[in-house]
Parts: sequence; structure tokens; C-alpha cells
Amino acid sequence: MKSTGQLIYIHPGPVRVWHWINAIGIILLILTGLQIRFAEIMHFFTLEEAIKVHNYIGFIVIGNFGLWIAYYFGTGKIKIYFPDIRSVIPNTMKQIKYYSLDMFKGEPNPHEMTPENKFNPLQQQAYLALMFILLPAQMVTGVLLWRVKEFEKYINMLGGIKIVDTIHVLLFFFFATFVFVHSYLATLGHTPSAHFKAMFTGYEEQH
Amino acid sequence: MIPLKCSCIFIISLIILSVAVPPSSVMGTTNEECLECHSDDSLVRTISEGMKQDIYVNQQKYATSVHNENDVLCVDCHSDIEKLNYDNEVPHKTTLAMVVCEKCHEDEGEAYLNSVHKKASGKGITIPCYACHGYHYVSHLEAESVYERENGFCLKCHNPNKFHEWLPQMDTHFAFVECTVCHAPDVQRYVNLRFKDLKTNKFYTGAEFLKALDTDFQGFMNLVDKDKNDIISVAEFEDLVYLLLQKNLRGTFHGEIVVRIEPLVHHVNRGVANRACEMCHMPTSPFFENVRFSLSRGDGTSQNYVLERAVLETYYLKHFYALGGTRIRLLDQIGFAFLVGGAGLILAHLAMRILTIPTRKKKQKKSPFEIEKEAGES
Repeated sequence: MKSTGQLIYIHPGPVRVWHWINAIGIILLILTGLQIRFAEIMHFFTLEEAIKVHNYIGFIVIGNFGLWIAYYFGTGKIKIYFPDIRSVIPNTMKQIKYYSLDMFKGEPNPHEMTPENKFNPLQQQAYLALMFILLPAQMVTGVLLWRVKEFEKYINMLGGIKIVDTIHVLLFFFFATFVFVHSYLATLGHTPSAHFKAMFTGYEEQH
Repeated sequence: MIPLKCSCIFIISLIILSVAVPPSSVMGTTNEECLECHSDDSLVRTISEGMKQDIYVNQQKYATSVHNENDVLCVDCHSDIEKLNYDNEVPHKTTLAMVVCEKCHEDEGEAYLNSVHKKASGKGITIPCYACHGYHYVSHLEAESVYERENGFCLKCHNPNKFHEWLPQMDTHFAFVECTVCHAPDVQRYVNLRFKDLKTNKFYTGAEFLKALDTDFQGFMNLVDKDKNDIISVAEFEDLVYLLLQKNLRGTFHGEIVVRIEPLVHHVNRGVANRACEMCHMPTSPFFENVRFSLSRGDGTSQNYVLERAVLETYYLKHFYALGGTRIRLLDQIGFAFLVGGAGLILAHLAMRILTIPTRKKKQKKSPFEIEKEAGES
């Protein structure tokens, strides 16, 4: 794909700060989470250290989520996460066709990235579920498991500690998978490193 | 004049009696006699400098104590009371010797001998058995919960908040794990399950639970243990859960980690408590080897039924989970499938990208006119 060479400012500063804190935080949560769950085979830290680090990082990620909420809702830019109901299905199909077929033929991406229309329909749906359901669910269950006795009432309301733990563990495996898939999909720019650079500089090349 | 033969028989009989029967019985000092005075709730004695000590014994509470249940007499413990002399205002000596519990409880005494509580006497503190167990109302502890045991014993003197800040979940540990589980490492431990009504937050007594199932203590295993191996398997536990639902018994199996009431419980020492989280929070942890379902009898004892360890890893115990220790393997398998699936997609897509590089390069070399022409033809 040929570049027009024009740079567009796609990722504002607060978004980049949030993104990288979140990325490092989630990777550390996965590593400490693995140590906590598989203490019999992993020995990065002692269990005591792993739990303490996991708790601290968890709260940093929760605070960071607050930054994301404040920025996107404060600026009104949150609308970039909501797909257009009228065109979401055909555009999603186009996007699936592009990733599974057209991109291998060298066809252009049907979605043109602009600051007001940053995400393609597939990204919108994925990030909507992530930011509004999956990440909050992981944070809520994490906080409940942080203080089981104090939050006993809420844990029981959700069906018991085993249910809360199951949600947390399944989401943990989902996020671990997401980190790999997300990193790979980030190489699908006009060059493999283009999206990575953009998340540091804020600028994407217009095509 | 009594014949010599009769006199000899009488004297020999007296000698035999005096050897064969304990002195207290000879004296006839029964508990009832003691309680004639000691059931008076205003009964006190002056210790020193006007300080008073309550020497009242509550008959009803004493009646349910283990000593009364086992027909132990007051004078078996207060053995320095040889006989009652009603000519005196107080029919026995007013200062009695310390009761020596080890006289009967030898193993407990031996375990206690080399414990931190006994060693404290070297620092001028005396911690006799009754400092923890009380005087006259010693009861069975088997059916007591972690909360009851801790409040009845350790928390009388100790403030656990002072030394356990390192625990990631201090209050949770205090609520579900008995102190001696960590502080008396040699003692046998159990995961003790009891049926609890979540609405009222009350435990069902054995009688209530069995009545709902139309059975009794003996009949319970006949009802549940289908393969008659004296262990409730996962499948049998599942059947029990459904049976409880059929009988409209709405509750949950509440789990706690407790120790077996045995002499070694007294062998608590400084510096030997388990502090390694890994001891407990691992699938291979010995802390979860012994699982039992406990039905209280109403006298402080309980009837315990052995469960297969795998029951802890089922969703029938939604309210008992120990991080790592009772983890559900199925979730690990699902997680592994997530990761393998994600990696598979990535690799397949990457392979396609690599394989189609020549196609894309060819397309990039074409002039815009050619591309437009191809598009028109198609």
C-alpha cells in the first residue's frame, strides 16, 4: 500500500500514557497471576511477593482505567468506540473479508483511519466489549478477591467465591491471549512497525 | 461377746473395702454435697487484701460439662479435700491446692510441657490449663467453628492483628483457618464442611439436617454412600446436593480449616508456625487431604463423614475456595485452549502473509493504469 506521506495525529498524549501503563500493568498482572495460580511449577517470586505485587499493580491498572474514563468522557471522544448501527454489519463483513482475504492480495483496508473515526467496526466491537464489560468485570472481581471477608456480602450476591474466582481466572486467560493477538494485529499497519511507532509518537501516516 | 471368727471376718472385710474403693467414695463426698453450698451464686471467698473470688458453680452448665458426663467427682480434681467436717463453718480447708489436670490428661500435659505457654512460667507468668479451658464448664470443642474456638481460646489473650499484617488477607485467614492449623504444625488438619443457611447465616444442627432428609446419624451414609466404601465421592456428593434441593433445603456447604482435637494441639511454640503461603496455596498441599462433612450432635461433639478431596474442586462448594489449593483444573484446560487457539490464529495468518508476499509485490509493481484495467475487466 502506498503512503501519501501525510501524518495525522491519531493518538493524543493521555491516550498513549494510558495505553502503555495499561500494557505494562496487564503484562505484570499476567506474570504474577501465573505465579499465583501455578505456584507449584513457577518460581519467579514467592507466592507472598506475587500476591502483593499483583494487588499493587491491579490498583494501578484500576486508577489508569479512571484516566481513560476521564479523558474519553471528558472530551466526548468516547463516541469513537460506538459503531454506527446502520452500517455496522456490512462494514464488519467488509473488514472480516479484508483481514481474511483481501489483505493477502494487497487490496487496501476498507477502513480509513481519522482522529474522529479511529477504529474499524471490528475494533469498535472488540474494544467496546473490552473496555465496558471485560476489563471492568476483571477489576470488580479482582477487588472482591483482594478482600474476601470484607466483601463477603457482594461475593455471595454473585454466587460465591468460586464463581467470582472463575470469572477472574477465565478473564485472566482471555487477557493473556488478547496480549498476543493484539500485539500481532498491531503489525498489520502499512509496515509491521507503523502502529507501534504511532502509539509512541501519536502520528500515523495517511494512506 | 462377739466370737473371734466373726471379728476376723469383719476386720478383713473392712481392709478389702478400704483398698478396693476410692477414698472419696468412702468419705461419701458426692458432687451433690459440694453443690449444697457451691450452687449458691453469692458464694465468694476472700483471697487477700479484701479481694473476693467467686466460688459458685452453675449446676446447669456443669451438668453439660465433659467432666460431669464422664462421672468425674469434684473431689477427683480437688483431691486435697479428704473429708467434709460440718462442725466447721467451711466444711473443708479454705485454701486448696492447684488442680493438676495432667493427673488424668497425661498426653495433653506432656505436649503442653514443652510449649511456649508453659515456658512463659519462667517469666513469672503462670498459664495453667484452666486459663484457656475454664474451671468447671469444660465442654467438647469438636463441633465448634473457627470463630468459636478462637474466641474461646487464643483471642482471650492474643491480639492477632499485631503479628499478622504480612498476610495478604488477614481477616479472611482468621475467619476460615483456626490458629493452630499454622501454629501447631504437627497436628492433623481437616477441611470441615457444615451446612449453612445463607439467609439466616446459621448452621444447621445435625438433627435439623437429618430430619430434613428423613434419616438419622446411622442412616445418613446408607442414604449417600452408594458404593459403601465409607467415603462420599464427587458423584455421591452431587446426588446429595440434588437430594437437598428436592427436600427444599436451601443452603450452602461452608468450609473451614480446623485441627483435630488431640493432645498435640497444646504443642504450640515460638518460631515453628507455618509462614510459607505455598504450604497451603498449592494443589499438592497436605492441608486439603482430609475433608469431612460434620453434623453436630448438640453436646459439642459431631459425627463426621469422610469426603473425597476432589469435592473441593467442584462447583457444589461455591463458598469454599483456597487460592491454588482447591483450584479447578477445568479452568486451566479452558485457558490453555484460549492460548493455543490465539497462537494458532496468529501463526495461520502470519503464514498466509508470508506466503502471499510475492503476490503483493507483483501488484505494487503494476502501473495505476494496469490496475484500473484489471478492475474494469473483473
